[in-house]
Amino acid sequence: MPIIELDNLSKQYPLPNDKSKSFLAVNGISLRIEAGEIYGILGPNGAGKTTTLEMLEGLTDIDGGSATIDGIDVKTNPFKVKEIIGVQLQANEYFDNLSLVELLILFGALYNRSIDPYELLRKVNLQEKAQAKPSKLSGGQKQRFSIACALVNTPKVLFLDEPTTGLDPQAKRNLWDLVLQLNKAGMTIVLTTHNMEEAESLCHRIAIMDHGKVVAEDTPQNLILKYAPEPPQAPLHGNIEDVFLALTGHELRE
Amino acid sequence: MISKLQLHLTRVFMLIFLRDRQSIFFSLFFPIIFMTVFGFINNGRQEPINLGIVDASSSETAIEFIQQLIDNPVFNVTIGQEARLRSELVEGAQTLVLILPETFDVSGDGMELPLLVDAAQVQQLGLIMPVLQQTLIAIERDFRGNEPLFSLAIEDVQARSQRYIDFLLPGLMALTLMQLSIAGSGFNIVEYRRKGILKRLFVTPIKPRDFITAIVLARMAIVLIQLCVLIAFAVFLLDVRILGNFFAYFFLVILGTFIFLCLGFCLGSIAKTQQAVMAVGNLVIFPQIFLSGIFYPIDSMPAFMQPIAKLLPLSSVSTGMREIANNGASLLEVMPSLLGIGIWFVIAFVLATRLFVWKEVAN
Repeated sequence: MPIIELDNLSKQYPLPNDKSKSFLAVNGISLRIEAGEIYGILGPNGAGKTTTLEMLEGLTDIDGGSATIDGIDVKTNPFKVKEIIGVQLQANEYFDNLSLVELLILFGALYNRSIDPYELLRKVNLQEKAQAKPSKLSGGQKQRFSIACALVNTPKVLFLDEPTTGLDPQAKRNLWDLVLQLNKAGMTIVLTTHNMEEAESLCHRIAIMDHGKVVAEDTPQNLILKYAPEPPQAPLHGNIEDVFLALTGHELRE
Repeated sequence: MISKLQLHLTRVFMLIFLRDRQSIFFSLFFPIIFMTVFGFINNGRQEPINLGIVDASSSETAIEFIQQLIDNPVFNVTIGQEARLRSELVEGAQTLVLILPETFDVSGDGMELPLLVDAAQVQQLGLIMPVLQQTLIAIERDFRGNEPLFSLAIEDVQARSQRYIDFLLPGLMALTLMQLSIAGSGFNIVEYRRKGILKRLFVTPIKPRDFITAIVLARMAIVLIQLCVLIAFAVFLLDVRILGNFFAYFFLVILGTFIFLCLGFCLGSIAKTQQAVMAVGNLVIFPQIFLSGIFYPIDSMPAFMQPIAKLLPLSSVSTGMREIANNGASLLEVMPSLLGIGIWFVIAFVLATRLFVWKEVAN
């Protein structure tokens, strides 16, 4: 059962150097993302990954095509969609002067829910930072806190925009574990990444985007079988001396 | 009506603002310094005029005349040689030097008394000359035993003495509320956008009107608290009097704060960077500091500028507040100011709701 359906979705932006012309940042993409999947969107910078996510999140207007999340049309019902999604953006700064607990309570209030901030912090392993200010967190802790904020409404779909960019290997692995754990509990997760290892080991399926189009979509395994270049021929081993010896024998001569 | 969410958000924003100790300190620091300086510089009493007298005649009439001047509280008399007094005049120790010629006598008619002045103090002279003239005439009458035909008995109809600090306080408060409000909405919006906070809020189901309402209410509360601190300081420590109704006074404060918060939202929506909002903000703030009758009355400005000055929103707010504080005017009596405030209220509110579009401001 697909939980997210994109049909011919597109987005135009004016060209930066010539405002009278526009280009298609997202050029008619159609995707089906299944409930319970971890779905990765890959692509070079400017391929349209973030724009696609922002259209799904209601941050950017949809210029063409349609998108639904859990059967709700994003274009006509953006506020209903916002109720059931959780979002972690690339920028992860928050109000100064509020502690993690106060920020989580604030985010809960935005969804009209009273939440247990300590429970959420435990989920992302930040319970000992409860009274800290976000500016005092490390990169990995900030990303985990962003995810905690995205979980206040127990969303059906979690969007992560480059969640591990800039993290050290320990923090990265730690975040993957968190994503797997959330997914195991039934959450659909859509993420963008530049990290191929992340896409390969974490995602059930991957879409590769370039120039606003999806150029390939499948499981990591199938993509490798289909597109990875053939392994090169086994290299020559030995040298001419071996050839010489093989032809003339090892026996010592006068 | 204010919803539960708006109330919660208002509380959160108040917490955020109150924890920003540094900006609270500085927004109180400068008005207090200002008031202290002006409160003590001019304490309402007219300083005696330093008058040097050169007595070249040594006649009895002259001695008596000088004694009359010494007894007059308007003057602080020094008697001495012309050369010394001249140099004191140049240095500023004397304001005027009066020379009584050798022939000084009451019998002489239409005698001219040379009066030395420093042209650099010519403005002050305009105030002093009538006082001097009056005093001389009174002394002359005394000498000649003439009964004056009439005299002026000056009575202050407002029965109070107005000091500069009394004039300054309402303007200073209007200025403070403008700066706090524009910074409180405009500068914050740009900061929240730069940090991506607006974007993050936008992907939650919050409505822009909840966000704006909360910021306006929270800022309003903070501004009122800060202004109360300033008023308490002025009233208790500097003995500034507010004659009018306190509620009427604060009614104008609230309206003014609302106007400038809305204008701040406009600035924050137009300007995209911190530098831009500072520049545009100063463009709005600075002319109003000098043209809105904060430090001196609009009536004392060049005539061609007065109509423009009176159109500024801060002029309406400060004029209205001053009328209430200094003259005890009622809300009905400050109608012209209220009308100006009302018009700006509508303009600012409409502009703010037009310009603050979540999607565009957040991205």
